[in-house]
Amino acid sequence: MFENFDIGILYSRSGTYQLMSQALFAGAMSAIEDVNADIALPIRFTPIVRDPAGDLTNYAPMCAEILSTSNARHVVGCVTSSSRKEVIPELDRAQATLWYNVPYEGFETSARVVYSHAATNQNILPILGWAMRHFGMSAFLAGSNYIWGWETCRVARTRLEASGGTVPGERYLPLGDTSVEGLIAEIERCRPKFILNSLVGASSYAFIRAYAELGRRDPQFAPEYCPLLSCNLTEAELPVLGDAAEGLISVGPSFCDTPTADGRGSSLERTAYQSVMTLAAVLAQGVRGPFDCYLAEHGARHGIDPVTQHKTLDVHIAQVRGGVFQILHSWHDIAPDPYLTRPLRHPQFKKTTLTAVHA
Amino acid sequence: MKKQIDIAGLEGARAIVLHPEHDRLPVMLRQLRAIGLEVESAWPTLPASAITADFTLYDTDAGHDEQFPWPAGHAPMPMIALVGSEAPGRIEWASRTGADALLVKPLVASGVFASLLMARQSFERRKALLAEVEALRERLSARQTIVRAVSLLAKKTGSEATAYDDLRQLAMAWQMTMEDAAVQIVQHNETTGAYRDCS
Repeated sequence: MFENFDIGILYSRSGTYQLMSQALFAGAMSAIEDVNADIALPIRFTPIVRDPAGDLTNYAPMCAEILSTSNARHVVGCVTSSSRKEVIPELDRAQATLWYNVPYEGFETSARVVYSHAATNQNILPILGWAMRHFGMSAFLAGSNYIWGWETCRVARTRLEASGGTVPGERYLPLGDTSVEGLIAEIERCRPKFILNSLVGASSYAFIRAYAELGRRDPQFAPEYCPLLSCNLTEAELPVLGDAAEGLISVGPSFCDTPTADGRGSSLERTAYQSVMTLAAVLAQGVRGPFDCYLAEHGARHGIDPVTQHKTLDVHIAQVRGGVFQILHSWHDIAPDPYLTRPLRHPQFKKTTLTAVHA
Repeated sequence: MKKQIDIAGLEGARAIVLHPEHDRLPVMLRQLRAIGLEVESAWPTLPASAITADFTLYDTDAGHDEQFPWPAGHAPMPMIALVGSEAPGRIEWASRTGADALLVKPLVASGVFASLLMARQSFERRKALLAEVEALRERLSARQTIVRAVSLLAKKTGSEATAYDDLRQLAMAWQMTMEDAAVQIVQHNETTGAYRDCS
């Protein structure tokens, strides 16, 4: 006999970040299929799907609807930090859990959320440290004008300045804004050693294309001399970028070395898939009741830090070469430190690798 | 120079939470631990170890002066008030005990990190200001001593005009600051009624 569990799926499949959402949605749904096809598992999932269509005001009501009209006590969903913060009060009311499968800026530990993808010390810190070693101590910071952009740039600026580096320019674009000419002109003037791109969606795509064009015009800005870094670029967004993606450098818990469609194989799709499988394994053991209590005792069994409910992850730095990500540097089993208060959990560099490749 | 908030220093920092048992208290303790702090809760008596804690979070609804081993407003660490009743008397007490930040009940996870950073910034700023006031006070009192020493020297040499230079010469000969030389002269005069012989 199988016990049925409703499971909420709350991803926007249209709007500015739809490519990320589609990969996440695909991962969650294929895990549900695999669970339902597994005769060894005593449980079955019924997905309760809602699509907020990229509109922030839809998240809380839709989450409430999932929790009140079904027996779902777990929701897989949300891409932006603001949407996550919208649903937390609803989860609190129902004592339900959100599985959040996207890299984010950290500084949050809700008992109602499992943070499955990379947080601060698993994305911003390692890619920045790596770039400072390989390209130099001067970075231009570009971000979308909301919390992800601000916080990513703030961490980068603090770290750079503390290490004696400089930030010759820092600029924010409104979400969805694609007029990047000013940004490109400023970068051309500043001549930084590398650029940290925390723009999202359409702004990011427009910027990446324009910067690739600049690199063709002036080799000084080609990826081998002044690369574009991103903390959240995955395979899901490569198709829309085409050739402009060549040389982009990203950080993530996993990368896929073959070309893929619909974001399959990306760390987003993999993480959403893994979250559902982890939940299935826990429910199959007969665990019921408040999930944070279970995690406090047994989270470590699933790689989930019981104190912060963030995951211990591998961290890879990878560059797009020939249309696929090629891994350049890896750390394994990096424990989460969302508040950046535990320096022992920060990825370390061996002193001997301290070489300036492009002096 | 703009001072940046030092987050890394929070790891292993010790927080004492002075609050009666409550259903929601574990929510806040959990959050403090998630941030990376070592946490000890106590009520109504602060343990002796509190004196070396890095943060004190304290209930303002049932709290009272006698709970703290230091005079009101002189806590040796940042203080965060946990405010339930907003009755003016309680807010006044929170302020008098030297709250550097406050969290409004019901106790929840959000706001804890922000209040830790705010409290520490505000505590450090207050400490720096007090140290600066103390240093200025010392300099002010040293200036009075210099004036007295100069007038003592003027009486001895009969020349107001050269007395200040004389003090400088003495300070150089004794290899000390002018302030310290002035103190020597004034003290010597007070104990013996005579000038220190510099010849």
